[in-house]
Amino acid sequence: MVRMILDVDSAGDDILAILFAAKHPDITLEGVTAVNGACGSIEQATRVALNTLARAGRDDVPVAAGAYRPIVGHSKADMEAPVHFEKRLQARFGDRLKGFNPPAPEPSRPADPRHAVDFILDTVRANPGEITLVATGPLTNLGLALLQEPDLAGLVRECIVMGGTFGCPGNITPVVEYNIWADPEAAKLVANSGMTLTIVGLDVCETNTAADGMLTRDDLADLAEHDAPLARYLVEFLPIYIDIWREFFGLVGFPMDDIIAVAMAIDPTLCTTEGPLFVDVELEGRLTRGQTIAFRGRQILGTSGQPSARICTAIDGRRFVSMFKQTICRHG
Amino acid sequence: MPVPVIMDCDPGHDDAIALVMAHRSPDIDLLGVTTVCGNAPIEATTRNALRVLDFIGADTVPVARGCYRPLARPLRLGTADGPSGLDGSPHLRDSDRPVEPVHAVDYLAARLREAPEPVTLVPTGPLTNIALLFLKHPDVKPKIRQIVLMGGVFYRRSEYFTPTEFNIFCDPEAAAIVVDAGVPTTMVGLDVTMQVLVEQPQLAELGEIRTPLGRLVLDWLAFYEKLHRGTMGVGGALHDPLALAVVIDPTLIETKPAHIAVDLRGTVTLGATVADFWGERGLPDNVRIATAVDADRFFALLYRLLRD
Repeated sequence: MVRMILDVDSAGDDILAILFAAKHPDITLEGVTAVNGACGSIEQATRVALNTLARAGRDDVPVAAGAYRPIVGHSKADMEAPVHFEKRLQARFGDRLKGFNPPAPEPSRPADPRHAVDFILDTVRANPGEITLVATGPLTNLGLALLQEPDLAGLVRECIVMGGTFGCPGNITPVVEYNIWADPEAAKLVANSGMTLTIVGLDVCETNTAADGMLTRDDLADLAEHDAPLARYLVEFLPIYIDIWREFFGLVGFPMDDIIAVAMAIDPTLCTTEGPLFVDVELEGRLTRGQTIAFRGRQILGTSGQPSARICTAIDGRRFVSMFKQTICRHG
Repeated sequence: MPVPVIMDCDPGHDDAIALVMAHRSPDIDLLGVTTVCGNAPIEATTRNALRVLDFIGADTVPVARGCYRPLARPLRLGTADGPSGLDGSPHLRDSDRPVEPVHAVDYLAARLREAPEPVTLVPTGPLTNIALLFLKHPDVKPKIRQIVLMGGVFYRRSEYFTPTEFNIFCDPEAAAIVVDAGVPTTMVGLDVTMQVLVEQPQLAELGEIRTPLGRLVLDWLAFYEKLHRGTMGVGGALHDPLALAVVIDPTLIETKPAHIAVDLRGTVTLGATVADFWGERGLPDNVRIATAVDADRFFALLYRLLRD
């Protein structure tokens, strides 16, 4: 049994990650913490987390709202780039886009009164060596927690981060992935903390060499055969996501980044990993700010960083997708 | 009515004198003290805050320990105060009381939320705690009446000119967050603090205050003055006490509104606080900068608070 805190920014695949974690029998979901990121605001991220847990019948899982902005961020123009991207999507998909990150309705229960940082610190301190942190959004909450509690790194069991890219092109710049870009300082705090890390980068999700780990319309057809409410929900909301990633990123299916991160907590054999290595985050340069750099090989300019991160290099994609579909269709 | 104040500091000799002034002034209600790393590591600055407060009879003023490192940079400690942060304090004993059970950032948020009237914050160290407060608890901003901080250096040409001031240099990302927080902020920078210098006449005047408190401050200044003279060629500048004194008497300084930006990228200007007096950035003023100081009246206030 894995005791997990899931830290999400509540965009499309985070929703699947919450559902998967909420339903999987080997996961004790201690809480979901929300962070500002891809879905646009901390309020939206928190509401989506609450509503998604309600959909999974898991109103027992606490949700805590976290950081509303990154530690430093970027120039105003670059921060607004995702908004302009959404305008391009609007132009292509018209009304169908209403199903993409729709404004969340008021949840049926309140969030935990604590800040996500305090929820994480309280839970980890009360259960030293027990908690697995899975972060599928920008790392602001974990970064702030590390700034407040230097011992956090040694108190968690492990931390699985969806973020970064090591061999395949980035999705913000050619070398930078969104979650790390969104708060590079926080990502660097996590990467340099010495915490036991597994990094699920774009290499195993957002590249067609990892296509067999993506969710396709065939998978939706499989789900449609099941009389399970969550399966019906996915069949309804996922097609627009599949189309966006096909048309704008050239991928053959919907990339399952965040769900892979959760799945790695319960079955680390799903991905081939390399390491442990020291991973650092570049903070300078418009095109390189947020780049994740794994220290492989030997260089003149070395590093004193701790080799504490395993990075995922390949995925057993069909096994992962089967696991996902089975979990979503579970009754009870 | 005394002004409610929370001091956020890294004592530090001059922070310690500011603490003494805050406690002694009838115009200030010192609600609490939060500590940060800067002049010395967080363990040392916290120990110093406690033992100074205990010595001066402020042992009921709560102390909350804050950040152990800057937001995004490696810790770079000051050197002006010795390894303990308060070298040359033979009369100070260690405190045996505990710090608050919560982090400074959460202590600040709790005190601000429950305060019946807005509180003045006086940060005299790197701005890490205040920035983290705004990142984590932005809702408390309306409960801050103003921030009067020691930090920055602006435009006044002098032989002591440096492009950066230590508190801002230590954590420039934090400083950038604080000046852009939308909270009324006065920056008491080196332009004015390098004009409140402890030289022989000031030491002589302080030597006349023959109380345990007077001796303590004289001990500190004897140490501090010597170190300053070694590096800068002038006596000890009372940076932090001036920021605190401005809360007691705002007429001690002249100020000018400006938009300032903090350099986060420079190789030799990292942490420079660059003011835009001509509006070239097209951005609204975000702080008031102290541009002139009445040093004599500042020292008169200091002597009075130590004497009475």
